[in-house]
Amino acid sequence: MGNASHFALFDLKPDFRLDLEGLAARYRERVRRVHPDRFAGASEREQRLALEESAQLNEAYQTLRSPSQRARYLLALQGEQMHQETTVQDPAFLMQQMELREELQELQEGADLGGLAAFKRRLGQAQEQLNEGFAACWADPLRRDEAERLARRMQFLDKLSAEVRQLEERLDD
Amino acid sequence: MAYSEKVIDHYENPRNVGKLDAEDPDVGTGMVGAPACGDVMRLQIKVNEQGVIEDAKFKTYGCGSAIASSSLATEWMKGKTLDEAETIKNTQIAEELALPPVKIHCSVLAEDAIKAAVRDYKHKKGLA
Repeated sequence: MGNASHFALFDLKPDFRLDLEGLAARYRERVRRVHPDRFAGASEREQRLALEESAQLNEAYQTLRSPSQRARYLLALQGEQMHQETTVQDPAFLMQQMELREELQELQEGADLGGLAAFKRRLGQAQEQLNEGFAACWADPLRRDEAERLARRMQFLDKLSAEVRQLEERLDD
Repeated sequence: MAYSEKVIDHYENPRNVGKLDAEDPDVGTGMVGAPACGDVMRLQIKVNEQGVIEDAKFKTYGCGSAIASSSLATEWMKGKTLDEAETIKNTQIAEELALPPVKIHCSVLAEDAIKAAVRDYKHKKGLA
C-alpha cells in the first residue's frame, strides 16, 4: 500500500486526462471506509492504519485534482522528479507573464470587477491550452523537455490564478 | 517570516525599478522565473561604448526577497564592466541581504537574471 501510486489508490491508470468528478466520488467513497468513527472499537494498530490510509488518500487526491501537480507527479512516475528550485529561462512566456501581472495590477488599482472576470476567463483558456498541450506529449519520453516546460508554465499560471482569487476576495469585501 | 532590515529597505525603496527599450541595440534583457513560487524577474542593462554598464533597471513580481535581490543586483551592476558584472555571485547577494536559507533561491534568481541580461547583450552585439 505504501508504495502504491496515487492513481492506484483510486484504481485509476496513470493518465493526465482525468474525470475530476469521478475522482472526487472515488475519493469520498474510500475515505468513508477508513473514517475514524468506523474504528472506534478497533485495536490501536487498526486505528493507526486507518488514519495513515486516510492521510494517503488525502495527499493523493490533492495531488491528482490539480492539473499542474498531477503533471509533475506523472513526470516523476516516469523517471525523474522535476527540480523545484530552478530558474526558468523561457523568455517569451515570461514576458507574457509579466504583462499579465501588470494588467492584473491595473485591474486592482481600478477595482475593475468586470475586467477581472474577463481576465479570469482568458487565464482559464490559457490553462486549458496548456493542459491540452501537456496531455499530448507527457507520455512520450522523447518529448520530456517539452512536457517539463509546459508543467512549469502551469505553475506560473497557478500563481496568477491564486492572485486573481485573492483580488476577487478583496474586491468583494 | 522576518525580513532583514536591508531587505525591507530595498522592498520599500526599490532602486532602479523600470524598463529600458528592449529593442535598443545597447540594451540587454534578462527574463527569468522561479516555478516553485511563480516569481518573474526582468533585469535590463544599458551598456556604453567602453563596455561599461551605465544603467540598469528591473521589474520583479515576487516576494520581498526576490524584489530586494534584483534591486541590489541593479545597484551593484551600474558602473561595472560586463565581465565584472558576471562575477556577481548569488552568495554575495544573499549575504548582503542576510537572506534566510529558504530565500536563497531568490538570490540565485537574481544572479541568473544578471547572466541572462549580459548574454542577451552579447548575443545582440555578436560577441557570443
